Amino acid sequence: MRALLKAELLKLRTTRTFVALCAVAVATSALLVVITALAGEPTEDSVLVEVFASDTSSLFILLLAIIGITGEWRHRTIAASLLAAPDRVRFLVAKTAAFAAAGIALSVTISAVVALLGYLILEARNLPVPGAGDVLALMGRNALVAAVLGAFGVGLGALVRNQVAGVVTVLVASFAIEPALVAVLPEMARFGPFFALPTGMADISGSELGLDVDLLAPGPAALAMFAWVVGAFAAGAALLRYRDLE
Amino acid sequence: MTAAVEIQGLTKTYGNVRAVSDLSFEVGSGRVTGFLGPNGAGKSTTLRMLLGLVRADTGAATFSGVRYSELEHPSAVVGAVLEDASFHPGRTGRNHLRVLAAAGSQPESRVDEVLAQVDLARAADRRVKGYSLGMRQRLAIAAALLGDPEVLILDEPANGLDPPGIRWMRDLIRSQASRGRAVLVSSHLLSEVAQSVDDVVVIAEGALRASGRLDEVLGGAEGSVTRVRSVDDQRLAALLAARGHHAVAVADGGLVVRGADSGAVGRVAAEYGLALIELGVASRSLEDAFLELTEAVAA
Repeated sequence: MRALLKAELLKLRTTRTFVALCAVAVATSALLVVITALAGEPTEDSVLVEVFASDTSSLFILLLAIIGITGEWRHRTIAASLLAAPDRVRFLVAKTAAFAAAGIALSVTISAVVALLGYLILEARNLPVPGAGDVLALMGRNALVAAVLGAFGVGLGALVRNQVAGVVTVLVASFAIEPALVAVLPEMARFGPFFALPTGMADISGSELGLDVDLLAPGPAALAMFAWVVGAFAAGAALLRYRDLE
Repeated sequence: MTAAVEIQGLTKTYGNVRAVSDLSFEVGSGRVTGFLGPNGAGKSTTLRMLLGLVRADTGAATFSGVRYSELEHPSAVVGAVLEDASFHPGRTGRNHLRVLAAAGSQPESRVDEVLAQVDLARAADRRVKGYSLGMRQRLAIAAALLGDPEVLILDEPANGLDPPGIRWMRDLIRSQASRGRAVLVSSHLLSEVAQSVDDVVVIAEGALRASGRLDEVLGGAEGSVTRVRSVDDQRLAALLAARGHHAVAVADGGLVVRGADSGAVGRVAAEYGLALIELGVASRSLEDAFLELTEAVAA
């Protein structure tokens, strides 16, 4: 398994798409924190969420995971991958672990950039800053969210297989379906894997985002998100295991 | 002969189409086996079943008795080049091999070794999207050689290669066999592999037509090949078979008999009072023989 994980991590590091999207994620997060720190007037209570929660790693690692696994079919490299790793479930486990690890690395990098910029700007403006412990705890929660969404993306991608369909599904679900559900069916929307559960895992409440919905607390949200990950992985693995590769 | 690859009763059906039908053959160590058949004969499907990429309906395909999916270190046992070998276009040739080396627990030094072996070292750090078809084929072969495998499986390996490349491929195949490796090389063109194979397995419409040594199956310059047509070809084929002569019915009527001259065939027919319509030496190339086999109908 270590060999397969090493190979999957090497795959990530040796494609431009991964490096470029990670750079975009860092730049986007940096831009968000600069804007919120410069334009906002956060209070002691609101500063953590208002300024320091600008980590976009979860969305980007979800997209990267889907691009990564569906790319195996798009570029027809899946056969070569499965010749190297004939146990298809082990192959999928290795890819899942690789994107979970990549999610953690990306999130930690982004969180560090966000914290650095946030502290510098807020200190310069003589505005309140959160305690280091609070920021570190937020970093930890964000890293966990990114890891889980990286894993979720691999399962989803193995199910969908088509790269464009996978990316569009994630974007539509994240920015249209789940927000609409929050407005129409808030009780159901709390269990959405693209927005509601990751937000709950990060210990951000609906009211802090101006939403009229009670998001799950971090523990239950993590459990529910874990169920989504297991479900997507199991379905993706079953499909991969029994599919002929022509 | 040690069977490095054993295929037993392999069958695969897609809907109403039987792509491979009860196919059995073996590939020996230290020998090059040509896996021949026209396009659509079922060669690639067979190889993909052998490699665990396609599930067989029935039958088994093993490497020294072990299925591909159960090999502990597959790249050390089997190296394969598939017909449509594909690569991530944005990854360099070297990085493609580094990924496979990592997955197979091979040292990175093997990457440089196989790059040199396939004469791709100078292009190793270019992205694959800039490679020619021939360079991609060499990269695929490099990937197959990474684990210095006991068995080499090449599906239409000459695709995209220029004449020097084809010669290089032949030399590579022969050198692998001379090191005791088993090589199974598929092609729809006999001429591509005739110079490098020891044995052939001929299939058409998913079914085995013939297998054995090249000269035995397709007839060599030294072998007698007789063409005969009688009032009852089916009976004549049975009579010849009883005398140890292999007669194959051909699509336009009549039989082709290998290993028997026209005198021997004529004597058998006379002995049983079968009137002959045509009898003569078949003047044909290996390619003709191959075509006859793949177009043959059951006698």
